[in-house]
Amino acid sequence: MDRAFRARLESRFGDVATEPIRQRHDETELRIPAAAAPDVLRALHDEPEFRFLMLSDLAGVDTGEQMQVVYHLWSETTSDWLRVVAEGIARDEPRTPSITFLWKGAEWMEREAYDMFWIVFEGNRDLRRIYMPPDYTSFPLRKDFFLPDDAARSPGGGVRPMERSHAPQGTSAGAIRRVKA
Amino acid sequence: MTAVSRAWGRLTLPGRIVFTLVPLLAVLGAGLVALIVLFGGTAADLILANLGFVRFLAAATIILVITIPIAFLNIYLEMKVIALMNLRVGPDRVGPWGSLLSVVHGLKVLIKEDFTPTAADPIVFTWAPVVTYAAAVMTLLVLPFAPGLYGQDFNIGLLYFFAVGGMGVVGLLMGGWSSFNKYSLLGGLRSAAQIVSYEIPLTLSVVGLLILAGTMSLNQIVQQQSGWFTDWFVFRQPLGFVIFFIAATAEANRTPFDLTEADSEIVAGFATEYSGMRFGFFFFAEYVNVFILSALAAVLFLGGWNAPFPFPALSIPLYPGSLGIPLLFLIALVPIIGTLALAAPFYLARSSMRWWVALIIGFVLFNVVAGGLTFAWAYVSFDWVAGLVWFMAKTFGFVFVFVWMRGTLPRVRIDQLMGFAWKWLLPAALLNLFVTAAAVVIVGS
Amino acid sequence: MTTTSHPGRHASADDPRVLLDDEIGVFGTVPPYPPRTEREAEFYTLGDGQMFLNMGPQHPSTHGVLRIVLKLDGEKVVDLDPVLGYLHRGVEKLCENADYHQVISQVDPLEYVSSLFCEWSPVMAFEKLLDVDVPRRAEYIRVLSGELNRIASHALFMGWFALDLGGLTPILWSFIERDEIVEMLAALTGQRMLFNYFRIGGVNGDLNHDFMSRLGDWMSRATGQIEANLTLLNQNEIFVRRARGLGVVDTETALAMCMTGPNLRATGSPFDVRRAHPYSIYPELDFDIPTRTEGDSLARYLLRMEEIKQSLRIIDQCLHQMPDGPIMAKLPRLLRPRPGRAYAAIEGPRGQYATYAISDGTDQPFRMRIHDPSFVHLQSVGLLMRGDLIADCMAIMASLDPVMGGVDK
Repeated sequence: MDRAFRARLESRFGDVATEPIRQRHDETELRIPAAAAPDVLRALHDEPEFRFLMLSDLAGVDTGEQMQVVYHLWSETTSDWLRVVAEGIARDEPRTPSITFLWKGAEWMEREAYDMFWIVFEGNRDLRRIYMPPDYTSFPLRKDFFLPDDAARSPGGGVRPMERSHAPQGTSAGAIRRVKA
Repeated sequence: MTAVSRAWGRLTLPGRIVFTLVPLLAVLGAGLVALIVLFGGTAADLILANLGFVRFLAAATIILVITIPIAFLNIYLEMKVIALMNLRVGPDRVGPWGSLLSVVHGLKVLIKEDFTPTAADPIVFTWAPVVTYAAAVMTLLVLPFAPGLYGQDFNIGLLYFFAVGGMGVVGLLMGGWSSFNKYSLLGGLRSAAQIVSYEIPLTLSVVGLLILAGTMSLNQIVQQQSGWFTDWFVFRQPLGFVIFFIAATAEANRTPFDLTEADSEIVAGFATEYSGMRFGFFFFAEYVNVFILSALAAVLFLGGWNAPFPFPALSIPLYPGSLGIPLLFLIALVPIIGTLALAAPFYLARSSMRWWVALIIGFVLFNVVAGGLTFAWAYVSFDWVAGLVWFMAKTFGFVFVFVWMRGTLPRVRIDQLMGFAWKWLLPAALLNLFVTAAAVVIVGS
Repeated sequence: MTTTSHPGRHASADDPRVLLDDEIGVFGTVPPYPPRTEREAEFYTLGDGQMFLNMGPQHPSTHGVLRIVLKLDGEKVVDLDPVLGYLHRGVEKLCENADYHQVISQVDPLEYVSSLFCEWSPVMAFEKLLDVDVPRRAEYIRVLSGELNRIASHALFMGWFALDLGGLTPILWSFIERDEIVEMLAALTGQRMLFNYFRIGGVNGDLNHDFMSRLGDWMSRATGQIEANLTLLNQNEIFVRRARGLGVVDTETALAMCMTGPNLRATGSPFDVRRAHPYSIYPELDFDIPTRTEGDSLARYLLRMEEIKQSLRIIDQCLHQMPDGPIMAKLPRLLRPRPGRAYAAIEGPRGQYATYAISDGTDQPFRMRIHDPSFVHLQSVGLLMRGDLIADCMAIMASLDPVMGGVDK
């Protein structure tokens, strides 16, 4: 845990952050609204006190209530991984700005998040499906997509068609897994 | 009638075959004898009157037939040698040391489905392998295998060789164009570009040699190199030899110049859409080409069928008839005595050995010894046996080098390939030509 | 059509199936539906004298089932569009529906030539979620087996790279190394390829005699063998000429393309997670991070070969410093970590493998994101090889060393 880094982050991004900065193990977590992601990431990338030159990972997350895009960054100015959680993306119309202008290599990771979560990255030039076939219609990693495996403890239970993208009949929308973490 | 059919029903399959064949052969044999009796004289006259033509026909037939064992041998050599270089075992199941595997490959190719893509041009597609194979086979016609053992001795033999050999690329181009496949197209065009480029240094590299030899007949070129191995043209044309060998590698589409069928880039090049025996023809043509170019290198630069040193002329007067009748009987006893003599040590040395095992060993050993002696006698007595031995040894030495390169070298890129031909090989070949011509003028005057 | 027009949940305007019923002749355009993005529209428009070449998914050298659509001008590659998903198993979804322990066997086949690294990062992430301290002996065993696996992977890379350049022999020579390592790892873990060896809080089994004797036997001659293998290629003029100056990338571009591992270090940046963000016992070990500045295919190849030697050093130190003690932390059978998030990254043979795990307090991960270096590196193929020839396409791809199991997840 790098306390000094946390202080630096707080003084620079304290006004944008939606929640206080958390630290655990070797990770520092900064939560920001999705719309602010490009500015924050650009500042983190360019400003000499941060110099986060490396985008280590880009992940989409469906918490069951909202969509998040999680960026993991690495810099030689700190010994921590920086996790930037861009949150507050609506589940039924997920949209967020793309960061391909900073890291061109995020393009495929954004495509993957689009493919799996239907998160539309505005500004990505090539936002197509990447793993699933082009005529596939659902988004598998969303929490309302259930595996047909009855060993998996999905709320509906029983065997379902693989490509069903919505909660099965008889279950309310509240039956999907949620996380508050 | 019922008796006959009952007897037929009792016969096993081999029995039925024998009982069908024997009368058939009897009738055919009788017919043949009758034909020979009736028209034999006329036929003999006809053959004698057109000896050259008949010889050509026979040579063409034999050449067409021997391409297949040559290709099989090359394929086997390639499989086995590359396997050993890769620290593998290689073929070892079919036949002794897997030597029949290429025959099995040939059979496999014969029984596979012969597939034509829907959108291919069927006529061109069908004839492409034939053209390539024919070009490869036709060049064999002028190769002197041994003294007196050649198809035809043209006075423009080398020119004929290059002219006909260059025709093979037409087949590759036809195959690449008609397959309706972009890989095939790329492969065909690559082969056209490559072979047309390398024809030039290949041909130029032997012009210096032609100036020295003063003839284009391959037979006479070989004869000029008789004597000690220092008379071989490789020592008078070292640069020409190197250029020739590199260009020949490209001509034969061998690694490192096998861009035509670069499997890691364009799958199988022109042969991507081919299957069955059509693919087999391409495959055979490739290996026959390797043999032919190796043979040409041996003929032009390594003295062809000449031994590396003048062999002392021995003439062994082996005319068994001159020994008289009683001694002939003695000779007839040689196999029995030899078998017994070679079996005896085994029987005596190990008490556990059965007499018949010892006899079998003795018989096999005797055959080996007798075969070796016969071969030695034939080598000494017949020019063509000695010539064939040396010719094949040199040729397969070159084939081994081709295989060796395939086991060692990666593939060059197409621009490197073309650049090498035009920027290095061609000037080097011209330099070789000028130096040779100048030397001939200076020394000759 | 732009990316922003998504009228409904099922994105029917984006659904290409509406057009699939149209009659498509053999001369039809690829793909048989209107472009969905700017980039696709740009790519699938042919210029004068250009053609498409569809490479894969059944191509001899696409390293698995990858399809690449090449836009060619003669033999020159103008542009290319990789099409993924032929090996997609939905590992992340499977992991969300599996127990924390079961995840290990799910992620194993991702990069099947370096499975231990695929296990390592999820296991580390779960240990962070659970606040478990791994016994030191287990860490040493992890590093030891991991470095062995790195050598096996790099040896295979050498063979594949040479094979894609047309050399037949190196792959079979390098398989000798790989086979010996794989056999000794099989003695340790019980499996040749998909080891399933690391556990949350330790490793599955202690070092045994079979493994140690094989390892000692191999270590006594490994350096000589590897040097012998390298002479096959390092002094081969054709190989060096083909690989040099091919697919050059500089550090800025590599960072922008999110490249890591040997591919990044070949450009001069010394980023190696083992040193940049140390984990396990790597801070205690003495080894170098080799870098090269050329950034071309030859540099990437030579760098990996240099890493083999460093791995041998690490293995040597592990064997000398191996402490006694338990190999597993004390953990309950059923793992229910507190709700939270954890991120763990390790340095694999191809670059940074990372796992981002979210726990919701149940015994299954709520979300498990697997970051695979092959996936990231594959997208830079297009950048690296504009203007090169078809033959270089395979060479550049092989020099980036992607494994399709990891790319497609």
